[in-house]
Amino acid sequence: MARAAALAAARSGRRAGAFSLGPALAVPAALLVAAFLAAPLAVLFRYSLNRYSPREFMIDAVTAENYIRFFTDAYFIGVLATTVQVAAVCTAVSLLFAFPLAYLLARTDSRWKSALVIAVVFPLMVGNVVRAAGWMAVLGNDGIVNHALLGLGLVTQPVRLMYTPFAVHVGIIAVVLPYMILTLQSVIEGIGRDVEEAASNLGAGPITVFRRVLLPLSLPGVIAGSTLVFILCMNAYATPVLLGGPQFKMMAPALYDQFVRTTNWPFGAALAFILMVSTLVLTVIGTTVLSRRMHHRRLEAAPR
Amino acid sequence: MAPAGRAARLKRRAGRWVLRAIAALVFFFIFIPVIFVVWISLFQQQIVSFPPEGYTLRWYENAFARTEFRDGFGLSLQVAFLAMLIGVTSGAAAAYAIVRFRFPGREALNTLLLGPLVVPGIVAGTSLYVYYIMVENILDMDFRATLHGLVLGHILLTIPWTVRLVSASLIGLDRAVEEAAMNLGAGPWTTFRRITLPMMRPGLVAASLFSFIQSFENLELTLLLVGPGRTTLPVAMLNYLEFRIDPTIAAVATVQIVLIGALMLITDRFVKLSRIV
Repeated sequence: MARAAALAAARSGRRAGAFSLGPALAVPAALLVAAFLAAPLAVLFRYSLNRYSPREFMIDAVTAENYIRFFTDAYFIGVLATTVQVAAVCTAVSLLFAFPLAYLLARTDSRWKSALVIAVVFPLMVGNVVRAAGWMAVLGNDGIVNHALLGLGLVTQPVRLMYTPFAVHVGIIAVVLPYMILTLQSVIEGIGRDVEEAASNLGAGPITVFRRVLLPLSLPGVIAGSTLVFILCMNAYATPVLLGGPQFKMMAPALYDQFVRTTNWPFGAALAFILMVSTLVLTVIGTTVLSRRMHHRRLEAAPR
Repeated sequence: MAPAGRAARLKRRAGRWVLRAIAALVFFFIFIPVIFVVWISLFQQQIVSFPPEGYTLRWYENAFARTEFRDGFGLSLQVAFLAMLIGVTSGAAAAYAIVRFRFPGREALNTLLLGPLVVPGIVAGTSLYVYYIMVENILDMDFRATLHGLVLGHILLTIPWTVRLVSASLIGLDRAVEEAAMNLGAGPWTTFRRITLPMMRPGLVAASLFSFIQSFENLELTLLLVGPGRTTLPVAMLNYLEFRIDPTIAAVATVQIVLIGALMLITDRFVKLSRIV
């Protein structure tokens, strides 16, 4: 009897003695995150309300002028617009190209499946700097693309590909594709093959099956993947710096510059929060629009 | 009827091949940078141009002779190892508390621990930079460009991965085995050590791998926390690449690729990587 009670208590995690000890296990990790993420962010936010002075560096104040400056300065509005544009394009393109591969990975019975999935993860693990280096060798004036174009006689002198928005898009898409593929694959795996088979047995062609069955059912994955990828694009640093060159400015490099080159901490701090809040707002809008469409489809499809 | 059916089948087949072709191209595309870095590291000529004039391994020697890469590699290994050790230990303990116990603030705790995934690396890095300067003034102790300063920052990269991976492995764990052990007379500590911990092993191994890699390849969070003579490998590589791409830097990158590839293969022997990502 006592043992049964003890077991029941253990199941709900409330054994005498363990009650106070259990949650305490989380204290070290929570303290580390609080001390080295939450507290620094709070300090940074406080600094964003300070005033910058070229002579005195930073003056204690409570002012919104750094935020106002951002939204009244055409240059910084342009930086934000470029960032959002790059993020939107890269998210859309990676979604388009990730879907076929994610679908095949989800549906294959090949014994190579796990090797293929690892191969998708691998480039993601080697780091952004390494991949940017690879693209520099591919897209440079002496790179393989120009070598091929010149060799084929398509151009007479090297085409400038490096340090262009094109290079940044290519680099970022390659960085985020694995995330999109893995997210979509896990959602498609959860959709039964029988649903697709039923649709095609009822006479739907492959395109109809995709548009009316597969796509609506995989929308949660589309939303999750796009959100993740959009955030990663908004925060990109290494790729725009190395492939875009000094002229091409996105938010993360601009933020870094404020701390290192201009040493305007209050404005740099404001940039950090503008970056985070605009990313949050845009992802919330995007998610709402997409899930409302999903809801709409559901209602349409629901039997009456 | 029959010809129409055949046409439809043919069309479906063609569709499959188009799908496969796109998938293969996407695969190739994400591998392009990795392939080219490795290839270029073997080129004979110093200025990258195609086709190669010949192949050599001397750039590896050259890369190793450069102090910024040798020291950067050493520092990155140290930071990644220490951050992994502390992050996985504290993160796994926290995951255990979150999965096994019900207490007020549990959800908030989970959100806090996954927080580092949400905050952009560059923002976390700059906030740590101003914070370290503030703390240095108060405590009269260096944090920027020190080993402990870097490790404390990098722990942030390891905790969310650990909490996610270890929580997942704990949720999938059959509690009946633990109960059986306790019924057979094992105390809570023995049960934990002999039953729970071994069952958590796949999650712990995966968490260690991901933590190590996340720390080793990190650039954004580290960028402002390094200093002269104390620079991690990715920051040293970025500084070099801002001026040029040559076989030497490609050799450094290849070493990193090989190291990470080896780590992934070793881990795959313990846990199916394709299951956890």
